[in-house]
Amino acid sequence: MSTAAPTSSPAQTSSPVRPALTRLGRLWRGALLPIALIAIWAAVSAAGLVNPELFSPPQIVLHTAIEDFASGAVPFALAATLLRALIGSAIGISAGFLVGTLLGLSGIARRIGDPTINSARQIALFAWIPLLSAWFGNGELMKITLIALGAFFPMALAAEAGCRNVPVPYREIGRVLELDRLTTLRRIVLPAATPALLAGLELSLNIAWLGTFGAEYLIGTGYINGMGDGLGAYLAAAREFARMDRVIVGVVSLAVVGLALDRAVVLLSRRALPWSRH
Amino acid sequence: MVQTLDAPHAAPVAASHRSDIDIRNVSKTFAVDGGTVQALADVSLAVRPGEFISLVGPSGCGKSTLLRLIAGLDVPDSGTVAVDGQKVTKPSLTRGIVFQDHRLLPWLSVEANVLLSLNSVAGAAEEKRTRVAELIRLVGLSGFEKALPHQLSGGMSQRAAIARALAPRPRLLLLDEPLGALDSLTRGYLQEELLRLWEHEGIAMVMVTHDVEEAVFLSNRVVVMDPRPGRVRQIFDIAGARPRQRTERAFVEVKQDILDLLHLHRHAA
Repeated sequence: MSTAAPTSSPAQTSSPVRPALTRLGRLWRGALLPIALIAIWAAVSAAGLVNPELFSPPQIVLHTAIEDFASGAVPFALAATLLRALIGSAIGISAGFLVGTLLGLSGIARRIGDPTINSARQIALFAWIPLLSAWFGNGELMKITLIALGAFFPMALAAEAGCRNVPVPYREIGRVLELDRLTTLRRIVLPAATPALLAGLELSLNIAWLGTFGAEYLIGTGYINGMGDGLGAYLAAAREFARMDRVIVGVVSLAVVGLALDRAVVLLSRRALPWSRH
Repeated sequence: MVQTLDAPHAAPVAASHRSDIDIRNVSKTFAVDGGTVQALADVSLAVRPGEFISLVGPSGCGKSTLLRLIAGLDVPDSGTVAVDGQKVTKPSLTRGIVFQDHRLLPWLSVEANVLLSLNSVAGAAEEKRTRVAELIRLVGLSGFEKALPHQLSGGMSQRAAIARALAPRPRLLLLDEPLGALDSLTRGYLQEELLRLWEHEGIAMVMVTHDVEEAVFLSNRVVVMDPRPGRVRQIFDIAGARPRQRTERAFVEVKQDILDLLHLHRHAA
């Protein structure tokens, strides 16, 4: 390859190219399985092996996707779901951070709060629906509450663990520098807890995202408060009308947005922790 | 005790009969794996104003424990530690400490790490920044103010840790094997730097070390300690003007005497 360019050694020419190649290679390997699945799906549909009513062929799904994006149905549902997820998780994550930090810092708070939190977090998120819907009805308040509750526990546990596990050598620096409690929290405890906090943030957003869909799908669709909005309602309607093409469009949209959210948090984590890369 | 930047502590009176540090009949026991280990047994020691004193001895002789008691990070089971006539019960900015692992906060720049030591000191922000810049210059880290600790070498990290300990103008600097993790070349440099800082600051320094030559090079007195239970074995007065020549006869002899004493113990154990 480099015989025509004897002036530049292979090592020099390949070093800037290699990272780009591996990134492309990784992307290609990640895409391999979905592409294979779509190919099998297309082949099975084309061969007429399955009922197209239950198993829409790819070209129909693509057509529906374009149609529902153009009409605004999917973008509108996506926006509603995303907004709901962000509001709910912002509330849950803030509350989880405050409660977790308090439990992590204070032994008394921990002895009072830990048993309750550890019992409550064993309850599956959707098992709260009967109780919460009795209090908050089947509207927006109920959905946001459920999402916030889902986001609360991972963040509370991560913040508690992060604040408790600050290495003793760093705590001793706070003591020998005679730092007051607030400065110790700001300069030592919270920065030391940042990796744990970011892991909690990731898990909280993850559960909030699942909870948002569940809330939209399970709570108040069609019967009492009308259809509601969001991807969950879109999917519930698609299923109601046996539109499997729409079901697939909805599921793929959920997956893509969920993945994007997760990537965003990972990217944020890398930027927030320049010191722990080494 | 509130410290201020513009009013540093009065210089110690050289002829004072009062010791900078007065350790009296101190004992300390730690619980380890269900049993107990006596780290210090009835240790008494007086450190004179402005003195450089080193603690040497095999591991388990309690030298680091003694330093932590002076710092106020631990409290003795019995006996007292007093600095300038005041009983030590908790850490204070008047007693700076440098650990073997530099313990710079990895999320703060060199500058911010040093500045943090002035957080509880009275004074204007501008004044504190000037003091930080002065200290960074003093330890030879100019140009690295914005660097994060992971970007520094071991020797540079230890210089930053020394700057952090000296910034609040302590009466006393405690050094817990400060050069123990460094390569021998960097170590030699930093020994000379420590000597320069000691002369510049005019404060007492207490250093724990494994390196007998380092102790003899720097100290007015070298305290040799015995292990299990930790106690003072013998105290060597080191004569001779600084900087000392490591190859000089008197230097080599006292170093050999201390090593012999340490080895004697090892054979007896």
